[in-house]
Amino acid sequence: MATPNHLLKDWDGFTPGSLLFSFDDAQKREYAFSNSHEYSVADWRVNKPIFNAEHCIHCQFCWIYCPDTSIISVDKKFSHIDLAHCKGCGICVEVCPTNPKSLLMFAEHTNEADALASWPAKEKKQEEEK
Amino acid sequence: MEIHEREVWDGNMAASQAMRQARCDVVAAYPITPSTPIVQNYSQYVADGDVYGGDFIPVESEHAAMSACVGASAAGGRVATATSSQGFALMVEVLYQASGMRLPIILNVVNRALASPLNIHGDHSDMYLGIQAGWINVCAFNPQEAYDLNLCAFKIGEAESVRLPVMVHQDGFLTSHTVEVVNPLTDDAAYSFVGDYTNMRPMLDFTKPVTYGAQTEEEWHFEHKANQNAALMHSFGVIQKTFDEYEKLTGRKYKFVETYKSEDAEEIVVAIGSVTGTLKLTVDKLRNEGKKVGLVAIRVLRPCPREEIAMAIKNAKAISVMDRSAPMGTTGLLYNDIAGILLDNGVNIPVLNYIYGLGGRDTTIAHLTKVFTDAEECKKAGKRVKPLIQMVNLRGKELSFF
Amino acid sequence: MSGMKEIKNLKEFSTSVEKFEGGHRLCPGCSHSIITRQIMNATDYNLVVGYSTGCIEVCTSIYPFTSWNTSSIHIGFENSATALSGAEVMYKVLQKKGKLPCDNGKDTKFIAFGGDGATYDIGLQWISGAMERGHELLYVCLDNEGYMNTGGQRSSSTPPGGATTTSPAGKISYGEKMKKKDIMGVMAASGAEYVAQVSPAQWKDLVRKTQKALSIKGPSFINAVSPCPTEWKFEAHNAMHINELAIDSCVFPLYEIEHGQKLTVNYRPKNKIPVRDYMAAQGRFKHLFKPEFEHVIEEFQKEVDARWEYLLRREEAGV
Repeated sequence: MATPNHLLKDWDGFTPGSLLFSFDDAQKREYAFSNSHEYSVADWRVNKPIFNAEHCIHCQFCWIYCPDTSIISVDKKFSHIDLAHCKGCGICVEVCPTNPKSLLMFAEHTNEADALASWPAKEKKQEEEK
Repeated sequence: MEIHEREVWDGNMAASQAMRQARCDVVAAYPITPSTPIVQNYSQYVADGDVYGGDFIPVESEHAAMSACVGASAAGGRVATATSSQGFALMVEVLYQASGMRLPIILNVVNRALASPLNIHGDHSDMYLGIQAGWINVCAFNPQEAYDLNLCAFKIGEAESVRLPVMVHQDGFLTSHTVEVVNPLTDDAAYSFVGDYTNMRPMLDFTKPVTYGAQTEEEWHFEHKANQNAALMHSFGVIQKTFDEYEKLTGRKYKFVETYKSEDAEEIVVAIGSVTGTLKLTVDKLRNEGKKVGLVAIRVLRPCPREEIAMAIKNAKAISVMDRSAPMGTTGLLYNDIAGILLDNGVNIPVLNYIYGLGGRDTTIAHLTKVFTDAEECKKAGKRVKPLIQMVNLRGKELSFF
Repeated sequence: MSGMKEIKNLKEFSTSVEKFEGGHRLCPGCSHSIITRQIMNATDYNLVVGYSTGCIEVCTSIYPFTSWNTSSIHIGFENSATALSGAEVMYKVLQKKGKLPCDNGKDTKFIAFGGDGATYDIGLQWISGAMERGHELLYVCLDNEGYMNTGGQRSSSTPPGGATTTSPAGKISYGEKMKKKDIMGVMAASGAEYVAQVSPAQWKDLVRKTQKALSIKGPSFINAVSPCPTEWKFEAHNAMHINELAIDSCVFPLYEIEHGQKLTVNYRPKNKIPVRDYMAAQGRFKHLFKPEFEHVIEEFQKEVDARWEYLLRREEAGV
């Protein structure tokens, strides 16, 4: 897990005790450089989720079940995916209750417009064996 | 609580009173012989409301004691505890974590032998076990010193340029349970000397949330340990300043290295702990017989005051170094420090190592006389003519190495 | 002082100010962070968090990055509860002395996290001590049934038949032989005012229990099932499905015990599914489907049923 070069400090160039601060200003929520929010794990992904606003009911399942705080909600509505932190686990897609789903996984290089254009139609109800 | 100008205290009482007068915010401790009275005394102070609003956590093990101290110190306040031997060994892991996190915790180590076999009496095996944990180590040889050094320890550890935990050592039973006259300060005078606790990066400051105890990978770890070591190595200034201030206040002068008649001594014995009292009597006796002998006692063990030690010993013609812990496979820890210092100063004289006092074994003037006369024989021969490592007061035929 | 917020529904919950940031190094699909987010976002109190060596620590505080938006401390493997014991007492002392650094006008709560390795095994004494001493402290066990951070070694939480690297399935062994330790019982008996078992699949239950724990003037213990995609061997995107199987099969029942005595079962699955289905969904039990080891599945079903029965009867008896 190598530190980006520009963040490497000399032996006398950091807060003693290997302490890490979360914010430069906690009140204003200005992230310190040492908040993992500033570290991208996007390169962990092979596939990424793409969002289709047409079907979303803003139930917030994706928000609560995302392990990487990568579904951003604003004013009780789905806002966007934080692609710097999404690892492409696909949980958001699994838990999405709409039909068709409002989130689907696509290959990393997929263009959003293409993805939306190829969105599957509503699935007919099937007899499921439990 | 009423404190008199002259009190009759043992080392444990002296230490616990100093902890009380420093107005610790939290003391988390676990009882173990022979440091138990410190914990008991402190519990009584809390029960009587004599700790200025501080509190005591009766934890379930010594490891938990130091863990709770670390958590309390990181939260942001003055913290101290006490232990010995097995308990010290149990908390060794946390000693490294405490110093790595730069938390100025004070630990009274009432030195006792390490099992096996089990022994509750005084020796330095616990002191030697934790010597590399990155703490400042100071050594008290009697109850007065246990009191004084505790107050100094708070001030030293909490200094902004230091910010390291400090151990105050005293011999189990020999100092901790030996009652002597102590001249303490009043509560107000003692607290005024130590001063208010200065918070640095406390967890309870929610305007600046902080994570303690991160993990450093190979591109960081060395820099962090170097940073910590630098702080320890550079703490001499603060230690000296604190000793100077304490001398102004009390008239009692503490030095990195305490010497007794060593300036013109040809044979010098180097030691730590209560044996230094008996060594002084031995020096006096031998001086009366016309021998030029002296004692060098180490007050500050870490950071190692190499310059001061060199000054004290470099003119000797032969040196005996006494270690109160079985070195198990080589020469003793103090011997190793001394030998390195001599070599670095170009001093090539015979140096002998004596292992003594294990498990509270008595060391008398007669035994110590031999420690001096062995050195004298080496001086006369111009080289080491005695075994390198000898045992003092061991029952049975002579056991020595090299 | 304020800090406990009312969360009526998920939309309301989604307005939480995030206390746990992305950019951590937990595996994709790890339930540790799902649970941690739910717990920390359930409250607006100031939080001091402690955590033990393991996935939750290693992945959230690799220097120079921290994922915790609040003050936190990691000392070692055993002692997150003890670190917070010290912090909690310091907080109370400073409060009395009027010397708190800065609390934004809110109360401060203390939450310790540890894996099952830290909780069931190496840290058992430390947590038991913290519970016994009555600190106002919530301890959350993130239970993935093994030492997963170091590659999946067994713990006393590993269920029978579970394959780990130190209880591997082999030619003559079916993996873990011992039963899962009853950590809830241990904690309840150690003096925890409130103990509860939760699953991230039931966020409302988890949030209610978290809020309840934080309102208690004493120690609480929450055990959270945390399926591990890497070592339980299932695909990351199925994490919530596995969570649901765990509670619907009653392998991981949701219940709470108040004051060490009163037991309440919180979730009765509409259709209790066979443990076989729960185990079939995970690679770590794959070997149990060989004829010579299938008896382990049957024995485990009996055990789960007996335990479920015990919980229901104890709830009924009100003891």
